Amino acid sequence: MNNTNKPNIIILIFSILLGIFMAGQFKLNIPTLTPVTLKSIQMTKNEIIALNNEIEDLNKLLQEKEEQINILEKITSGDENIIDVLNNELKKYKNLAGFLEVEGPGIIIMMQDNMAEGAFGEEFELDIIHDIDVLRIINDLRGAGAEAISVNGQRVLAISEIKCGGPIIRVNGKSLGAPFVIKAIGDPKLLTAAINAPTTYGYALKHIDQVYIESTTKDNIKIPAYNGRFNFRYAKPIREGD
Amino acid sequence: MKKSNGKIAITMVSLFLGIILAIQFKTVNKTVGEGVLPTQRAQQLAIELKKAQEERDAALKALAEVEEKIKLYEKGEAENNVYAENLYKDLEKYRMLAGYVDLEGPGIVLEIHDPPADIQFGIEYSIADDLDLILQTISVLNAAEAEAISINDQRYTAFTEIEKAGNHIEINGVSIGAPIIIKAIGDPETLESALAIKRGIVWTLEYYDYNVHLTKEKNVQVPKYRKLKEFIYAKPVEEESN
Repeated sequence: MNNTNKPNIIILIFSILLGIFMAGQFKLNIPTLTPVTLKSIQMTKNEIIALNNEIEDLNKLLQEKEEQINILEKITSGDENIIDVLNNELKKYKNLAGFLEVEGPGIIIMMQDNMAEGAFGEEFELDIIHDIDVLRIINDLRGAGAEAISVNGQRVLAISEIKCGGPIIRVNGKSLGAPFVIKAIGDPKLLTAAINAPTTYGYALKHIDQVYIESTTKDNIKIPAYNGRFNFRYAKPIREGD
Repeated sequence: MKKSNGKIAITMVSLFLGIILAIQFKTVNKTVGEGVLPTQRAQQLAIELKKAQEERDAALKALAEVEEKIKLYEKGEAENNVYAENLYKDLEKYRMLAGYVDLEGPGIVLEIHDPPADIQFGIEYSIADDLDLILQTISVLNAAEAEAISINDQRYTAFTEIEKAGNHIEINGVSIGAPIIIKAIGDPETLESALAIKRGIVWTLEYYDYNVHLTKEKNVQVPKYRKLKEFIYAKPVEEESN
């Protein structure tokens, strides 16, 4: 009796002690912790990085605006002429808005439907270039810092639509047919990577859908000015204090 | 014999427990960093995040003040002189087009909420996996002659990329999550019918179980683009630039 019970009792006591310790441990953390997963920590970290980048951008913008104020202040002292200042600003924003023809290094992308007979049996949908394919490619180019983009000679801006309409694609209200030639000005290396790297949409188009897509880098590409609609009938600037 | 069997079993279980606990501690230490509890780390990050947010808000405020000052200067100077006044009006127009002015006007608001988790199949997905749909929405809005578009208060410009980053979407380098709120200024009737057409964007989104609200509004506000964009590669073609 004694021999068999003794170790059992010791184990029982230790188990109880362990239980109390563990319970104590868990209890201790509860006030400071709502469930935290490593994933949520990573997400917060990413958010902080994104915010810091945003702050950096804002500070750059702030600096530029302050320089602008300096120039404007010189007008009152007669060192600068208001018309010159406004003209410079006008040229800058006209360029940013896409109303000037620009040239520079970049890439030219050729996209053509897959002409091979019966490449996918009935699935001919995959062989054809759709508006979303062009949209995704342009989105990737923008992500790689493209400064100016055109599709078959139509400058693509924020207000440009790219829509399928039967056999053609409409851009800036003009109908464009295959083959599609997308030109983009920017860092040629980054732009090429955005189209050809194995995880990109362009790579998938080429190797899975087997659409004909070819990119070449050029030292000098010309991209025309925007010539679509551009009157603001509904949008008005927000005036503070009105 | 029976007695020692029990002992062996208990020894084995204890050994096992010990090894598992040791592995657990080791992995947590490795992934979170030694000596730091995940909760502590999370709190630290939360504080950092808050600080970064405050800093950003301060920068935004400073920027707004500086911009207001520039506006006053330019306007004040421009009013002295008819030529300068016209230049200033032109400048405002191109700034609006480039996305550097807060705009307001009639338009639509499209809210896209993530679908509820599918209990039956355990499938969970979010709009971050369907960037195509966002790109198409913007294209459709542009086809319906939208004048300005924002996504979760990020102005959509000619340089705006929409990228997937983990569970988030990054737009203009700012990370945003569901719900996605797309605002567009333009003719509310046209914009609404363009989205609500049978088999159109709203139909497609609802088909994939997204919770979609589309409303026409008399006054939609679209904020300005907050990044400094300067063309490094693209230069205006000289003959065209006068």
